Amino acid sequence: MSLFAGLRWGDYLGVAPFLLFAVLFLIVPTLFLIVGAFQAPDGSFTLQNIIDLGTPQILSSFWISIRVSAASAIAGAVLGLILALAVIRGALPEAIRSAVMTFSGVASNFAGIPLAFAFIATLGRLGLVTVLLRTLVGFDMYRSGFNLLSFWGLTVTYCYFQIPLMILIIAPAIDGLKKEWSEAAQTLGASTFQFWRYIGLPVLWPNLLGTLSLLFANAFGAIATAYALTGSSLNIVPILLYAQIRGDVLNNPGLGAALALGMIVITAVANILYLVIRTRAERWLK
Amino acid sequence: MKLSAVLAATASVVAILTSIAPSYADSLDDLYAAAKKEGQLTTIALPHDWCGYGAVIDGFKKKYPGITVNELNPDAGSGDEIQAIIANKGNTGPQAPDVIDVGLSFGPSAKDQKLIQPYKVATWDSIPDTAKDADGYWYGDYYGVMAFLVNDDLVKNPPKTWADLQKPEYANQVALSGDPRVSNQAIQSVYAAGLASGGKPGEDAGTKGLDFFSKLNKAGNFVPVIGKSAPLAQGTTPIVTNWDYNALAWRDGFAGNPKAEVIVPSDAVVAGVYVQAISAFAPHPNAAKLWMEYLYSDEGQIGWLAGYCHPIRFNDLAKNGKVPADLLAKLPPADLYAKAVFPTLDEQKAASDVITKQWDSVVGANVQ
Amino acid sequence: MKRGKFWSGKFWSWVVFVVGALYFIVPLLATIQFSLSIRRGTWSLDAYANVFQQPQFQQTFTYSLIIAVAAIIVGLLLVVPAAYFVRLRAPQLRPLIEFVTLLPLIIPPIILVFGYIRLYSSSSILPLTNTDIGTNILLTLAYVALALPYMYRAVDTGLRTIDVQTLTEAADILGANTLTILLRVIFPNIIVAALSGAFLTLAIVIGEFTIASLLNRPAFGVYMQNIGANRAYEPAALAVISFIITWAAMGMIQLLARFAPKTART
Repeated sequence: MSLFAGLRWGDYLGVAPFLLFAVLFLIVPTLFLIVGAFQAPDGSFTLQNIIDLGTPQILSSFWISIRVSAASAIAGAVLGLILALAVIRGALPEAIRSAVMTFSGVASNFAGIPLAFAFIATLGRLGLVTVLLRTLVGFDMYRSGFNLLSFWGLTVTYCYFQIPLMILIIAPAIDGLKKEWSEAAQTLGASTFQFWRYIGLPVLWPNLLGTLSLLFANAFGAIATAYALTGSSLNIVPILLYAQIRGDVLNNPGLGAALALGMIVITAVANILYLVIRTRAERWLK
Repeated sequence: MKLSAVLAATASVVAILTSIAPSYADSLDDLYAAAKKEGQLTTIALPHDWCGYGAVIDGFKKKYPGITVNELNPDAGSGDEIQAIIANKGNTGPQAPDVIDVGLSFGPSAKDQKLIQPYKVATWDSIPDTAKDADGYWYGDYYGVMAFLVNDDLVKNPPKTWADLQKPEYANQVALSGDPRVSNQAIQSVYAAGLASGGKPGEDAGTKGLDFFSKLNKAGNFVPVIGKSAPLAQGTTPIVTNWDYNALAWRDGFAGNPKAEVIVPSDAVVAGVYVQAISAFAPHPNAAKLWMEYLYSDEGQIGWLAGYCHPIRFNDLAKNGKVPADLLAKLPPADLYAKAVFPTLDEQKAASDVITKQWDSVVGANVQ
Repeated sequence: MKRGKFWSGKFWSWVVFVVGALYFIVPLLATIQFSLSIRRGTWSLDAYANVFQQPQFQQTFTYSLIIAVAAIIVGLLLVVPAAYFVRLRAPQLRPLIEFVTLLPLIIPPIILVFGYIRLYSSSSILPLTNTDIGTNILLTLAYVALALPYMYRAVDTGLRTIDVQTLTEAADILGANTLTILLRVIFPNIIVAALSGAFLTLAIVIGEFTIASLLNRPAFGVYMQNIGANRAYEPAALAVISFIITWAAMGMIQLLARFAPKTART
């Protein structure tokens, strides 16, 4: 009786507080940013900042950023999914699941200088693992070409907060894979692989994509860890952005704003991609 | 000419003169009374370990009770401080900074953007002309020189000059204290290396500095990690280039573990000046002026010296015998400071332009 | 045969878990080892003692904890109804809302806080920065914004898993109004998801520094930064302490959640 009465305004009433909050606390500051992208240092309107985005240094920084974010998002999603499945459906003791959930909560935000330092202390040239491997097993990681201060080193470090984020977000979805389904599949003679291929993964697919998009954006905006780890050898967009906004030498906040605008555009594109893929996947679900 | 016109002209001339005349130091007691009425001073970007600011702030609070010091974001860079002023233009709350301490190049740009107000402290005349704005908008506060901080436990034979850094014995050991595309300290390190390589002050030294670091990187001596006291102690960056006052403060912080020493390279000594200014929108202008008076008094200047920074009035203080001998003894030898080169604003700008724009292409291992 | 499958499944689960645990624990061990090395040649807890001795440790931690709880509650109040209504009745709004929730990940917190100061300073219509309470509210809402991506994604995943349409219709037929449906039918079913969002919010608030510092609030992140800057061993000790304390706080939230109305897990 009440469901269809207030269809017009009632729908939007529930969303209204959220939207109001979003406007006041997210959209308007973003608008400041966007306006700033079109401002020259003296305050006049200019397109120069946007044009400046086309310089090779900035373009290559965007490209590196996209690659690092994609690599850590995919690695985080895949590894996180495997770990989540093992902990939730793998018949491990219940206590392990609780511990992993809470640990993931903490680890998902363990980023920046502490994380970079932890990895330097572990996998750096004088790191714990490096030294152990060298003294105990005689294997010198660095001589074999490994270097923590590199693209893949950064990806490995980023996984430290990407994997827990994946675990936390996908856990409720894995819970939703009803036991009846796997039992039914087994009765019909399906192998575990077939269960996942035809039932499990397709059901999880929209959630996986959504989380992948979140992981990508998460890595894209992350600066503190990359900064602390690879310092001046990696040229990613947030570092450039920060240089323009908070640098110690003459800076151009307008360019910084333009960079942020570029980041927003790329995130929007990535998000649209995800939405398109998801809509097609969900078509059979509902 | 008619009398009324003359009077009007005189009145307007007087009005113009008084409006552009920078406010000279008010009598200290009146200033203190007015500041006490405001009750608070808001600072920004003053880490307690930087130039002994912790002790300086405590000294100010002790000398002028009744004024609370509200410290914002000690991690802020010079750019952040400027942004904080801009963002707080209409805000008289405690988030608006009253005073800023920024790199030299930010003084003139802040003045152009009308973000700061002029004030000349009582000791104005003893501040060297090259380190202050003629109209009193900004004024140098302290300087330091570029030095090496070396982890003696890991580096058996510490380098004595910039040229030494290229030696193969320092493989994977040399780091900058910041990102040379962003941080003033890092940029000045590159500049100093350039001067040591024979570059002329300005753009030439910037270019030669980039070449120096490119060679260092190719030789495998350069570690791209940002050198802070933790990585230095842990061993990833046993040699870090930074301002002498930071190096000395970190060395003290180690308390012997690891053993570290501060070396001022003898082939190029580059000085870096920071400047003070009062925000044009300061909610507590009198407290701000009182703070400036304190900083430029003998007591404030010596306070910075205790934090290993050379106060801008150092020569004046030394001439009048006001510098305590024990503080002098704790600093690196004075003859090195005599060689210090103070880059002018134009030289700094030219070099920074080159270094920030070309670091990635000349030096950057484009990470793969 | 079933037993064989069961055994191999469990075996691989343990392998995955152990490998994962190693990846996460070893860097922490390295940090702990470094934090204990403050004294030459011997292990000592001096770095930890230095951290704990400061009087503000307790005050700032309590403050951040309270703000975190407030942010979690406000976040849930905003996100759950919105996600519910979008899923149920206004799916055309979904792309817009999802994009909005990704914004906080991209906009640097420093720009966000400068925007807030400009909008809500003493000379604006809503002078939040003038009073302590106002600034605390501003800080809480800033953290809700920061945690929004995670909170929304978690709640949305939870809602996707339960059949919102059927549950709502069933409850409605039984005479429940919308508020009751949300509180007593929907929310208990997404407790796990809401918990994930709560954990993430808590972790963010405890460690956050930039916004708290520029809004001039006595938060734990600010305190940590002040202690740790320019020191070698204390930051490592702080990282470990903050990790353990946040973990404990989350453990407590999880414990409390056991008392929440439970739903039959199908």
